[in-house]
Amino acid sequence: MSEPEVATPLRERTGHALRDPFLQQALTIATTRFIDLRREAFGDFPDGESLRDRARAIKEATLQRLDHHVERLVASVESRGGHVHYAVTAEEARAIVLDIARRSGARLAVKSKSMATEEIHLNEALATAGVTPVETDLGEYIIQLAHERPSHIIAPAIHKTRGQVAELFERELKRPAAPDPEALTAIAREELRRRFLDADLGITGANFAVAETGTVVLVTNEGNGRMVTSLPRVHVALMGVEKVIPSMSDLMVFLAVLARSATGQKLSVYTSLVSGPRRGGELEGPEEFHLVLLDNGRIAQIAGSLREALACLRCGACLNVCPVYRQIGGHAYGYTYPGPIGILLTAMLNGPRSVKDLAHASSLCGACADACPVRIDIPRMLIELRREVDERRIAPRGERAAFRALARLLVRPAWYRLTARVARVLQAPFVRGRTIRRVPFDLGEWTRTRDLPAVAPRTFQERWAALEREGR
Amino acid sequence: MVTCLGDLFYPEVGERIVRLLRRLGVAVEFPAGQTCCGLPLFNSGYHEEAATVARRTVRLFDGDTPVVVPSGSCAWMVKHEYPGLMKDAADRAAATRLAARTWELSQFLVRGLGRSRFVAAVRGRLTYHDSCHLLRGLHEAESPRVLLRALAGAELVELPNADECCGFGGSFAVRLPDVSSAILDRKLAAVEASGADCVVACDAGCLMQMRGGLGRRGSRVRALHLAEVLDVEGEPS
Amino acid sequence: MATKAEFLGRIRAEMARTPGLFTVAAAPWPARPGERLALLRRELAERWPATLERFARELERVGGVFHRVASPGEVAGLVADLARAGAMERVVAWAPGALGLDLAGPLAARGLSAVAMPEGDVAASERTRLREVAAVADLGVTGVDLAIAETGTLVVVSGAGRPRSTSLLPPCHVAVLDREALVESLEQAGLVLEAWHDGEAGPAGGASINFITGPSRTADIELTLTRGVHGPKELHAVFVEQGLARPRHG
Repeated sequence: MSEPEVATPLRERTGHALRDPFLQQALTIATTRFIDLRREAFGDFPDGESLRDRARAIKEATLQRLDHHVERLVASVESRGGHVHYAVTAEEARAIVLDIARRSGARLAVKSKSMATEEIHLNEALATAGVTPVETDLGEYIIQLAHERPSHIIAPAIHKTRGQVAELFERELKRPAAPDPEALTAIAREELRRRFLDADLGITGANFAVAETGTVVLVTNEGNGRMVTSLPRVHVALMGVEKVIPSMSDLMVFLAVLARSATGQKLSVYTSLVSGPRRGGELEGPEEFHLVLLDNGRIAQIAGSLREALACLRCGACLNVCPVYRQIGGHAYGYTYPGPIGILLTAMLNGPRSVKDLAHASSLCGACADACPVRIDIPRMLIELRREVDERRIAPRGERAAFRALARLLVRPAWYRLTARVARVLQAPFVRGRTIRRVPFDLGEWTRTRDLPAVAPRTFQERWAALEREGR
Repeated sequence: MVTCLGDLFYPEVGERIVRLLRRLGVAVEFPAGQTCCGLPLFNSGYHEEAATVARRTVRLFDGDTPVVVPSGSCAWMVKHEYPGLMKDAADRAAATRLAARTWELSQFLVRGLGRSRFVAAVRGRLTYHDSCHLLRGLHEAESPRVLLRALAGAELVELPNADECCGFGGSFAVRLPDVSSAILDRKLAAVEASGADCVVACDAGCLMQMRGGLGRRGSRVRALHLAEVLDVEGEPS
Repeated sequence: MATKAEFLGRIRAEMARTPGLFTVAAAPWPARPGERLALLRRELAERWPATLERFARELERVGGVFHRVASPGEVAGLVADLARAGAMERVVAWAPGALGLDLAGPLAARGLSAVAMPEGDVAASERTRLREVAAVADLGVTGVDLAIAETGTLVVVSGAGRPRSTSLLPPCHVAVLDREALVESLEQAGLVLEAWHDGEAGPAGGASINFITGPSRTADIELTLTRGVHGPKELHAVFVEQGLARPRHG
């Protein structure tokens, strides 16, 4: 288990989010914008659909021979003078990075946005070991200053207003800051520029790693990925082992769908391809390059029920279209990865017990699967997770008993008809016209905000005999 | 197939469908002993139980008559999930045959019978909500719109973000009622902004959710099943 | 900490359970990128004017500025004009051999402070000094190894005489290209990268290749698009009709 269990119940977390008017507004604006941008981007891209199929096919083909591609990647990285490390757990991954930091005498680490380092909670570990980690993606920088966690995979600080950011900068950076995105960005540029030049250690994730060439690929819009991989003495890239792809041609297929899905751009501003440490004749570039391959529950899914989720590109498209995410935002999910794909990744990392409630935080509307650039069937896997939660007896005993009783009822039509009649009697005190405005027990959850239809005075089955005669 | 919600809560919808089909020259049978397709069990992860229910339904609908379902989600369950739930090869073959001859109502009218011209049973402006399973499960956005557009006596206005979920989601609606209601609020705000007098859907689940929300708001907008707005010319039902 | 053997062992143990689970079989890409690239280059040579037009359009769409000059000799004048317009004084440039053009002299003659980066290996202390020079420069001039028309992307490869910082640290980046750099699509760019790796004479062989598509940007504060957060705020591409005197590759 790599992440601590969340103490507050899900219902409370979602309630909190729903009652935050600013968060509600920010979520609506951000997700709507991302949805529109994505739609436009694929709208005038006739190859889009076939490239999505190809991207998925490459992922599946690669996973089928993952050992081969990982070996190839390792050989290529090592032939370029890089070092490869292997971490089965989050704890091992942290230990590896800390060891590299210690041996290189690093005091200051600059980081380019990486969900993998969030996943292993690296920053806390670095700080404890005396290395100051500085997030350099503007959104990540803001939430690091605020001591928060990202709320969206690609827009980590969408829950903050310009005013809040200005106040934060004034408080934490001790300098005047006007509540204007342009001015705030300029402040961040200045503050972080010095950090880039002073840092000993650069830490990144990887969007992809090309096995053939030993290349780690980083996609950013700001250019911080380039800084982090070019200026410090040591570069450590931490990546989930499923990020390996075979060739540069494969990479182009992914690049063509990634930014369009994430931000509606044809390409993000910077795609950096890094192959090992600084070469002879180069002025910049790290003296040491380390690649940390992370398992943390991924390998067990190669043949597991969540294997499709290994194709995820972390683009965030499924978050933006998810009606649940759009209401509750990222924090309410409680773990590193939010949104519908996040539920699957949380289960992958922390086991099905961690998502016993989250697995139900979806109306199964399927918008996520539609938006996913690699067509991951998220709803199907959520259902699968619910099944596991039942099978492993993680679901509450009462719930399991209720569903089993329902199943018995549904294969006994006489009982079913009897239940309808009994319900009609029981509902009588609550019915007004044909609806019920308030009922006790569990169904009260429905009627707090919605009317409930009453069981009809005569069901269709009870009307059928007459209807049949009418047809003769 | 009437479906559980259709049977218990909206029997008028079933009645209208039977009469509508008859007037189109279709003989309608109703196998006795129907309960529910098993989707609630399936979606909550109780697959063995869902399989037992499904096996019973497959046997109940044995034969070669087309099966018409007034709910996109139940039709999807039968068409997409039944075969995979069957362990036994003979059951699976029967489920596959059933899946092939099962139709959601709008699809049956437009694609099965080739009928798209009806008269409106209600007056005014209509708007259409895409139910998730019909749209993304059965890939059907056109048939209901073809029917509503061609409707004499009513006008179809497009619902902004018609493809967004209404927040029903079966047990989701009571497991996370606040989130479900917040999603519903967004949907109903769009419905009211569309200026329509009634919102039409092809799924009893969405109707239960939207009708419940509209009723609670005291809205003048009605949520109706497709069958409740279609009439055959000259013979109002 | 796991060893490589243990780690691969875990992967193989799981892979043994996969038969039948995946719907897609591995379909290897066709080999011999070098031969395919030679063929492509012949086709591109005929279509370059259309490719250039599309590149210019896409570059401008992402916030870059496209310029066109007839000869290499005109580049310095253009750079000086850009510098003057933006009140910029300090210029850094790739080494003349890497750029195919000597800019330091002509720019100095136009009153700018211009530093060309050295091409050979230099001592660590000198590397640190040069990095500081780039860090305080207002404008950086680089070459372009590939220009992708489909996306308006400039591809620059690091190496001797072609520091990474030139296109990164100064707030204004001017990239100089000729028709040899043009490709139509990402797919073609992938082929070129494979050919370089496959032993075709790639450019200068540094460890970093960057695809640059417009100026540095962010929308992290209230989704307001802001330019120049860490990288350059301005991006110019200068197309030289008569070509540059760079050592050819690919």
